[in-house]
Amino acid sequence: MNDSASWQSLFANLPIFKDAIITGGLAGALLGFIGVHVVLRRMVFASSAIAQAAALGVALSFWVPIVVDPIRHAAGHQAGSDAHVVSSLLFEPVLWAVAASLLATLVFIANPVRLHLTRESLLGLVFLASGAGAVIVGDRITQEAHDLSAILFGSAVVVQPADLVLVVAATVGLLVGHLWLWRALIFVGYDPTGARVQRLPVRRLNAFLFLSIGLAVALCTRALGALPVFAFSVLPAMAALALTSRMSAVFVLATLFGAVSGVAGYAVSFRAELPVGATQTALAAAFVGAAMLARFLAMRLRPRSAADNGSNGGRE
Amino acid sequence: MTTTAAPDAAARLPLVQLTDLRVGYQRRAILPPISATIAAGELWAVIGPNGAGKSTFVRTLLGLQAPVAGRVDRAERLRMSYVPQQSALDTIFPVSVGQFVRMGRQAPGRFAGRPSRADGEVARAALAEVGAADLARQQLRDLSGGQRQRVLIARAIASGANLFVLDEPTAALDIAAERTAMDLIAGLRARAGAAVVMVTHLIEDTLARADRALLLDRDHDVALAAGADELRASAAFVKIYGRTPIHGSLPHGGTAGAGTGP
Repeated sequence: MNDSASWQSLFANLPIFKDAIITGGLAGALLGFIGVHVVLRRMVFASSAIAQAAALGVALSFWVPIVVDPIRHAAGHQAGSDAHVVSSLLFEPVLWAVAASLLATLVFIANPVRLHLTRESLLGLVFLASGAGAVIVGDRITQEAHDLSAILFGSAVVVQPADLVLVVAATVGLLVGHLWLWRALIFVGYDPTGARVQRLPVRRLNAFLFLSIGLAVALCTRALGALPVFAFSVLPAMAALALTSRMSAVFVLATLFGAVSGVAGYAVSFRAELPVGATQTALAAAFVGAAMLARFLAMRLRPRSAADNGSNGGRE
Repeated sequence: MTTTAAPDAAARLPLVQLTDLRVGYQRRAILPPISATIAAGELWAVIGPNGAGKSTFVRTLLGLQAPVAGRVDRAERLRMSYVPQQSALDTIFPVSVGQFVRMGRQAPGRFAGRPSRADGEVARAALAEVGAADLARQQLRDLSGGQRQRVLIARAIASGANLFVLDEPTAALDIAAERTAMDLIAGLRARAGAAVVMVTHLIEDTLARADRALLLDRDHDVALAAGADELRASAAFVKIYGRTPIHGSLPHGGTAGAGTGP
């Protein structure tokens, strides 16, 4: 470990890294909150598949300009490192990431029963097709391969200001929407038939949830990479569910764990000179391990009488 | 097949009118036409062996799937509540009893933002009505089967419904809890203007309490809607269950025991 990777160095260069740190924290908080729905509804791999689709969208945003206008693209390369990535607003990677994510999200909104398929199998299709597509497209854009690798595995050392703005907007907008519809989303996830009988707009509420997952995953994938985005949408919720049995506390803790994983993961990766996305993911996983250990110890240390009162195993 | 309309139905306030209703999937009817009136104050039992089409009928009644043919006319003031099987509720959700009962208060225009104080009071009253007021802070998944069933009924009460549709509410309950649940269910129809439709395998006890029943057969050639006593004496009942039941003699599975065949 060299001197440039010290804590002092991190703080001294905070103006350079602060956008990435804030983005990590906000993405962790947003995905941590939404991830509780993802985990409770047993669609953990949905966010992975959507993130993979977002990565494919970003890869396509690099590749399509090469196909459409190869001369201008080559000229962009000669002009400098910043000029080649986007030759037009139309090829803005985040737009392609959002479009691909929302297309993938439509798969989850659709009812696959008529095709005699399960939703899980469609998840697998989206994940595998997107992953294969990203690798194939990545093979055609060797000059942007580093950018694509960053998107797939997360090495967001520096985040573009535009990405930060989008993540802030998404965090505020989606969290407000989710808080407003929180009770209904829980009801619809827990007892969809009961909710339909009570004439709640179940399809529209599910559409809001899935589209918000798609949007959050797309924007955060563009900023942080697919790996930490998948991690933030699963692991903080798992840790929170292991620690508490109060629904509101689960959401608060998951949001907190996600935010801390995003911020502290970045700091630790800087200090230890590790890849950012992988370190954020490892920290989120460490929260799950610690939560499970705490739960195990609490169960072992809980007085027998309290344990008996807590659950009577189905007896009256 | 046979369908019989209730002779005294017109005397009661109808909540749902079924006219030559055919239920099924993908435009294919799986049951003969059903004509019946579900009126206020009635307890309906929907009985029949597994695979007879009880769930399909209930889903159509609830408006969750369209009829293949015929009509379901619902009264304008109808407000339905569905009590699912306990096993249908995912135990991974950390839902408290109070939170669950307050779900009953959600309705169009009343599902966003924080629950009102009035909703909380209605939920507490409903819990008290089923004798579960002290369970409000507990986790639903931690309760016994009997306690959980009472809480499920409390949510239905809190919803302010006038048609309660219950899916096998006594499944997996011991005898004491089963009796308590049946008493509560029978009591729901005593609420002003309310009726109960209950899918059950608990044939004896239910028919003893029910006003009317719908008998469905596994072969999908019987859909008999009749008074409970009339249904018990019917040939279709004897055909499906093997004999006219004697109180306490039929197994909960609904099929006749060995040596009791026709």
